[in-house]
Amino acid sequence: MLDWLRRPWSDRRAERLLGAAALLPCIGVAAMIAFVAVQAWPTFAHNGLSWLGPGGNVDTQLGRMVTEPHPTAADYHLRAWPLLYGTLLITGIALILALPTALLSSIFIVEFAPKAVRRVMIPVVRLLAAVPSVLYGLLGALVLAPFVHDNIISASEIASHARKVQLTGEGVGLTAVVLALMITPIMVALISDALSGVPNSWREGAAALGVHKLRATLAVSLRAIRPAIVAATALACARALGEAVMVELVSGGRAYAPNLAEGPVALLEPARSLASAIISNNEELFGAPAVKSSLYAFALLLLFSAVALSVAAYLIKLPLRKYQVKG
Amino acid sequence: MSTYPTILDTQPEAANEPGHGREGSFGPTLVPPARPLASVSTLNPEQPLARPEETVTVGVPPVRTIVVDRAPVPVAPPAARESIRLSSAPGPERLTLEQVSVSYGPKQAVNSVSLPIHQGEVLALIGPSGCGKTTLLRTLNRLTELTPSSARSGRVLIDGEDVDGMPDTRLRARVAMVFQQPNPFPMSIFDNVAFALREQSRKRPNRRALEPQVIDALKRAALYDEVCDDLSRPALRLSGGQQQRLCIARAIALRPEVLLLDEPCSALDPISTGVIEDLIHELRRDLAVVIVTHNLAQARRVADKVAFMYMGDLIEYGTTQQVFEEPRATRTRDYVQGAFG
Repeated sequence: MLDWLRRPWSDRRAERLLGAAALLPCIGVAAMIAFVAVQAWPTFAHNGLSWLGPGGNVDTQLGRMVTEPHPTAADYHLRAWPLLYGTLLITGIALILALPTALLSSIFIVEFAPKAVRRVMIPVVRLLAAVPSVLYGLLGALVLAPFVHDNIISASEIASHARKVQLTGEGVGLTAVVLALMITPIMVALISDALSGVPNSWREGAAALGVHKLRATLAVSLRAIRPAIVAATALACARALGEAVMVELVSGGRAYAPNLAEGPVALLEPARSLASAIISNNEELFGAPAVKSSLYAFALLLLFSAVALSVAAYLIKLPLRKYQVKG
Repeated sequence: MSTYPTILDTQPEAANEPGHGREGSFGPTLVPPARPLASVSTLNPEQPLARPEETVTVGVPPVRTIVVDRAPVPVAPPAARESIRLSSAPGPERLTLEQVSVSYGPKQAVNSVSLPIHQGEVLALIGPSGCGKTTLLRTLNRLTELTPSSARSGRVLIDGEDVDGMPDTRLRARVAMVFQQPNPFPMSIFDNVAFALREQSRKRPNRRALEPQVIDALKRAALYDEVCDDLSRPALRLSGGQQQRLCIARAIALRPEVLLLDEPCSALDPISTGVIEDLIHELRRDLAVVIVTHNLAQARRVADKVAFMYMGDLIEYGTTQQVFEEPRATRTRDYVQGAFG
């Protein structure tokens, strides 16, 4: 047996083995999607498309589901809009903050920073990208939230919100900022990698035409790495959408939909995302089949958003490839 | 003819003959190849080939003549070309180098070089590898400053104005450069040529306003006829020679006074090289052209003046004819005759 393994492998045998290994993740993903979809089916079946619509606090709705092992149709009642809205709001603001920051700092690191600075900054950025998110959550909840409460929220704002929701400092805006801090290093790492891969001849060519370094970087290098920027944004977005622990700690943990029409004060209001709704429910709730199905539905939505992100990134990159080097 | 051994013993010559085998009387061991091959005939050197033309053609593909280069183009005799040269009298002095020295850290790359560069003529910088010719070229538009360790002394004047006194972007718009490897940007042909025009202007002009200038530059770079059907094609899909001409178009779109060419043909095939050399001949009418080349034949073909550099020193400067035919310095003579390189 060992002797059989030790003999030189033919390409065909290697191909079969490697192909089998490559097939495993595909099977895994398919099985996962199928399982989650089956588990989530009851709640979608009972609520229809209005599952996605607004309808009050999700936490109280989940609490109402804890009945007996055979829930009735009424027990499945769920309107998940506040969670969807919270997820989109937090992720969207975080991306709006993170993308320009990541682009500018990548340009600085690759094009402008002195060699010594670059050699320090690249490992530091990689380290930041690898910091566990719970650390950000801890600092956000214990340091930043009290700071916001003491220094940014005025007493009159607390008083005016007292009837609706309590302003504790934890909220959408703070979560988005911390989330941006979390995903910026990932984007910087990916974008600066791509930027340093831009051939030097393009930089020289632009310089020889009398174009400033910054203009040349924006017009040539950034243009050339647009596919990498899209990929980095998609990856960061996926991480932001799926972030559970940090968001649960910093966002205030209320399934409440802040009304942006109220102005900046809406950013101080709490919210909850899909991922944090999954981890925030305690174990007694898991026993109820309706709750379980609802949580699987949240998970299915997250899975779906990951697939949608990949597809979107692919579609955006498609026309950008036209001017690139072939192959 | 009772058994094989006797036949083979008594008539070995006959057994080897192709004609005998075809009759099939000797069994499978002696069946000759179905078609006559050259090797079979050569086994019997005494016997002449029955039909030599058939032996060569049947079963063997005909020998093809491989065209390595294009058909020879009649070259004008030296006297005629000289008269072309003389008709374009050297124009005003565009660039002046005064005691220019460049060093990278402790390494001296260029030693106190002084040269005039006139409009209407092509100056070729020749010399062995590492002699400082590319460095000297890059000094002319202050591109050496991109290398942090470089230091320069001496003066470079453009139309009598010191280049150190002007912003490098303005200088590089007047002294354009084309590199060894074609480096078109990853955008369309149009955007490549319009790139510098857009970036150099204060207010970004729109496509329609730029179109005449872009087309003019492409025409002057002898590329327009090949790409005119679709200027929005990606530049990186062009062939190597077309890419290099696109880079020349991009460089001359700003209407510079001096064009620097750093071995522009070394990555190209002979046909593309010929096209670019013709282009250089055309361009020097309104430009001063400085070309660095390793190819002595090319220097001889395109240059009006030649400067020979060796170990950072300018050894000899003169007309092409003088440098190649009556070099003053021994090292120049050795180099142009191929004794070292």
